[in-house]
Amino acid sequence: MQEFVTNNIKETNKVANDLATSLESGQLIALSGNLGAGKTVFVKALAVGLGISETITSPTFVLMKSYPVNYKQIKQLIHVDCYRLDASEDLADIGLQDFLDDPQTLVVIEWADKLDNLPKNNLINVKMEFLGQDKRKIVISSKLVG
Amino acid sequence: MRILALESSCDETALTILNAQADSLVLEKDQVYSQVDIHQQFGGVVPEVAARQHAETIIPLLSANIKSEEKVDYLAVTTGPGLITSLLLGVTAAKTLAYAKNTPLVTVNHMEGHIYSNWLSNDELVKNANKYFPSLVLIVSGGHTELVLMKGHGDYQLLGSTVDDAVGEAFDKVAKLLDLGYPGGPIVSQRANDGDCSIYDLPRPMINSGDYNFSFSGLKTAVLYTLERKKKINTEDVDNVCASFQNAVVDILVNKTMKAAQEFGVKSIMLAGGVAANNQLKESLQQEARIKDLPFFFPELKYSGDNAAMISVAAYYNILNKKNIISGKDLLSVAPQSNWQLFKK
Ligand SMILES: Nc1ncnc2c1ncn2[C@@H]1O[C@H](COP(=O)(O)OP(=O)(O)OP(=O)(O)O)[C@@H](O)[C@H]1O
Ligand SMILES: [Mg+2]
Repeated sequence: MQEFVTNNIKETNKVANDLATSLESGQLIALSGNLGAGKTVFVKALAVGLGISETITSPTFVLMKSYPVNYKQIKQLIHVDCYRLDASEDLADIGLQDFLDDPQTLVVIEWADKLDNLPKNNLINVKMEFLGQDKRKIVISSKLVG
Repeated sequence: MRILALESSCDETALTILNAQADSLVLEKDQVYSQVDIHQQFGGVVPEVAARQHAETIIPLLSANIKSEEKVDYLAVTTGPGLITSLLLGVTAAKTLAYAKNTPLVTVNHMEGHIYSNWLSNDELVKNANKYFPSLVLIVSGGHTELVLMKGHGDYQLLGSTVDDAVGEAFDKVAKLLDLGYPGGPIVSQRANDGDCSIYDLPRPMINSGDYNFSFSGLKTAVLYTLERKKKINTEDVDNVCASFQNAVVDILVNKTMKAAQEFGVKSIMLAGGVAANNQLKESLQQEARIKDLPFFFPELKYSGDNAAMISVAAYYNILNKKNIISGKDLLSVAPQSNWQLFKK
């Protein structure tokens, strides 16, 4: 488990960038934290780290967006946002299962705590917390290979 | 000609029959079924987002509303952008029907549909559209914030879009921060009516960015910071925050729209999308357009949100331009395009 306190976006970007360099395909990133905690900011920086040139925008209303990637074996980023789900949904219900099974796809989920049945393996949890003004706490914990 | 259109890109399933003539658009049928209605009608509780499971319900809906002998010249369906699982049900129903009835199918872009909601609400556009091109279209909804230069029917140039949250999303999230409930847009503007927009000095992110992009996530955070500082807030504070927030949003949108209108020498301004329901935005744009002597069009309330009527009208103009019409065996390969970006830089 790693814990960071960032004082501005730049520092958050650095944490996300560093995570990007250590990513492997077939992993799942579960982001949690309240409104404005910085989840989308984190994904934007992660995407930059993966060499994605498209602008990452919030997927809140459309539930998920996909971006082509060319990074190690990763060919596709699926950016999911569960904010609008009001009950705990099944990953398959929102059409995610195929992506989770695809080794060339990296799935990143905002508001992942709204989902019930995240896979136990290859899961990276990123918890973000608002500490006042531009200060954020970021806790990264992972269960790799299981 | 008669066009039957289906729309299922998000939470609603909608059906329209349009009778289109050279200078009139008449809706013979126009129905929106929210998932709630479907649940009631068919007596099953289905998870909100599992539209895939609704694939079976659209057929009974169709047959309940269209007599098999009713003749339509074209079918139309939204194929994107939108949630794949939701799009899939409309697309599957439409292409099956088209194939079975040997009727051509028009695949329509949801955002283009929003633009054409203006044609439903303004007869003048139906009769004399060419007088108003190029037009500057501001599309604002829960998932989209785009400034588009419309040079003619089906001819678009994307000038800018949001780099993070969409406008409607920002409204909903501010409503959430203030504990006002869902959907946030209408509630926030309601409360803004009673508030004083000069109490909180909220930022206008990217207002001077020199391009036509938008950013609303910083505004969301500014509201969060304001609330954190205050700790306890009363009714009046809520009204004032709503007023200050809405004012900032309208400021940004109107400012960029008018800058673009000037730079591209447009002949009219149009508003489209769910947030077109916002009165302050409409009034503000109306006022600025009048100063510049530009006609300003906006959709009636019932056509600003998602609906099938706008899809049928967009289909009509696609047909006139012989665009996106699919028939015969090609129908089998029609599929949802959840990331369809019609507007290009
Ligand atoms: N240290 C920081 N790290 C990340 N973001 C920060 C930081 N300081 C300030 N911010 C601001 O916080 C906001 C974070 O917004 P963002 O949309 O990323 O949050 P989110 O967690 O995705 O919210 P939502 O639940 O609405 O999806 C941005 O406006 C960003 O500029
Ligand atoms: Mg977000």
